[in-house]
Amino acid sequence: MRRITRWTIALVGAVTVGSASAHAQEPRLEGRIPEPARQTIDLLLDSARARGLPTEPLVDRALEGAIKGAPGDRIVAAVRRLAGELETARAVLGDASAAEELIAGASALRAGADPDALAELRRARPAQSLTVATSVLADLVAVGVPVDTAVSAVLSLATGAEDADYIAFRRNVERDVALGASPVAALGVRLDAVAAEADLGTGAGRTVAAPRKP
Amino acid sequence: MSEHDDWLAQAVEVLREPVRIDPALDRRVMAEIERGPAPDRPGWREVLRRPFGGQLAVTSPLGGLALAAAVALGALVGRTWLAPDSTEPPSTLGTMAASVAEAVQFVIVVPGATSVVLVGDFNDWSRTATPMRPADGDGVWAATVPLEAGRYRYAFLIDGTRWLTDPSAPRSLDDDFGPPNSVVTVGAT
Repeated sequence: MRRITRWTIALVGAVTVGSASAHAQEPRLEGRIPEPARQTIDLLLDSARARGLPTEPLVDRALEGAIKGAPGDRIVAAVRRLAGELETARAVLGDASAAEELIAGASALRAGADPDALAELRRARPAQSLTVATSVLADLVAVGVPVDTAVSAVLSLATGAEDADYIAFRRNVERDVALGASPVAALGVRLDAVAAEADLGTGAGRTVAAPRKP
Repeated sequence: MSEHDDWLAQAVEVLREPVRIDPALDRRVMAEIERGPAPDRPGWREVLRRPFGGQLAVTSPLGGLALAAAVALGALVGRTWLAPDSTEPPSTLGTMAASVAEAVQFVIVVPGATSVVLVGDFNDWSRTATPMRPADGDGVWAATVPLEAGRYRYAFLIDGTRWLTDPSAPRSLDDDFGPPNSVVTVGAT
């Protein structure tokens, strides 16, 4: 009986030690994140990995917190929040979405985009990467375009617009805003320009559909 | 804004334009590599011994660029041909060609700074990985980073203590730690 108890204790101990060391430690966090927080982040990374989420953006977020001198609990909170946003992004963009799509999708969600809007964007561009489209959405919100208007604009360009078209569109809106235009007016003017270009067929090979005004 | 500032802003705008490489270049390089060594190709020693009778003339910046590309291509392919004991092209070349990164130039004007470091998602937010170089004596600092398609957050660290965002790039809305970040989005090429 005593032998069985001893073996049981040894087995339980081995399993405990094994499970404790089973979770992978991210070497880039070592020495940069305060110790209790680092262990929690490692667990969050394990959890994300197990759910098939990209872990690189989570590591990046933790390292950003470290270089900016944020306290450990704040870094953990930020990593946890981002993991949640990545999971939501994947739920609406699809399991097959690339990591960079999820990162950009999470940014759009943080900007205030409705998950349904991202799902609609996926339906409109089923075979194309959404990285740039969703990133531009977040960027438009950042320059002051109301989120619903930005969503509508990005969706209106979704059929046929290439990544370069989205980036050029965003750059033009930003330039107009920098020159003093209101964000909504700048967006409207640039959408009109895209529509006119599409109508005239002067898109130099582009096939951007005429947008509907947000 | 003074005339000098205008000039700097224009210079920054020009420098910021991404360096785009012809997408067909990869295909041409790979086609050349896959074709393999021509049976009648002379050995490299023989090539070196040949008298050089050609005339080199670069008449335009574009011509210079094309020449530079040709030299780079030549160096790449030549390295394959010259590799000792090599019977087929190294497989790493295929990996390099398949992973398309765009050279993105970051530029910031910080008069009086003694050091400017570019930190972001692309370099693990490292204080040492990407120091920027002063482009001239007017406080213009620049760094070029190869980035694959994606969305990256970044900021400039001035003299090791002060954070700056990029005034000509979108601001990131997901700043969890106080000092804000800028965003660069690289599209698929």
